[in-house]
Amino acid sequence: MTAPRAGDDIIATVTGIAAAELGLPAASLRPDTDLRAIEGMDSVKVLRMIARIEQAYDVELDDEVVFGLSSIAGTADAVRQALAEQP
Amino acid sequence: MSPVNLPWSVLADYRCFGCSPHNPGGLQLVFEPHPDGVCTRFRLGRHFESYPGIVHGGLVAAICDETMGNLIVLRHRQSALTVSMRQRYITPLAVGRSYLCVARLGGDRDGQRLYRASAEVLDDDGTVCATATASYQPFALADMRGRLALSEPELAALSRALAGERGGP
Repeated sequence: MTAPRAGDDIIATVTGIAAAELGLPAASLRPDTDLRAIEGMDSVKVLRMIARIEQAYDVELDDEVVFGLSSIAGTADAVRQALAEQP
Repeated sequence: MSPVNLPWSVLADYRCFGCSPHNPGGLQLVFEPHPDGVCTRFRLGRHFESYPGIVHGGLVAAICDETMGNLIVLRHRQSALTVSMRQRYITPLAVGRSYLCVARLGGDRDGQRLYRASAEVLDDDGTVCATATASYQPFALADMRGRLALSEPELAALSRALAGERGGP
């Protein structure tokens, strides 16, 4: 998997991955969309989405963060923070 | 596709739990080239079971580590030890079902001398069931002489194989 380049719109990338995991058009998801409230979404799909995001950005998100995530914007924030904490 | 020739195969009786064909209690994994790195297909029986019908998670980690580790060795032509590994389990793997583990090299990070890799385990539908990342510390075989149960001829043969030359001890 090709890592997104620095400066990429993390929200757009996270939205794309979430949409692909759910089989929805990316345009149907907004940054404040409650991921767990989407019809068809379940904890496995959330975890699979997180795994794809971790691979895409080569980061490891803390489980405490992952299991508290509820929105695309929140997920993008977690990625941004993980990237900032990388050595 | 042809299996990848691992450097350890120059040792007549190597017993690696993951990849040796000489270890009857091991996984006997066979690796093949993959566009992103290397891959191995596996199907585990009940002797590797955790909950009934579920593959033990430690085995999933072992397979990811084995696939990433061999990729590191093949690409960098250097032996390496796992120093840290992070496993993410998404869905349990079923006993008796076929899965594919694919390993890719990780990006180098400035100032770090460790090699990095990632792996994912996919079911037959291509759905990801587990992912892993790990770091590996390269080492020279000669520096590990006191820890490795290898004769001098075996050590020399393995060094040659790691460098890309073939030939037994």
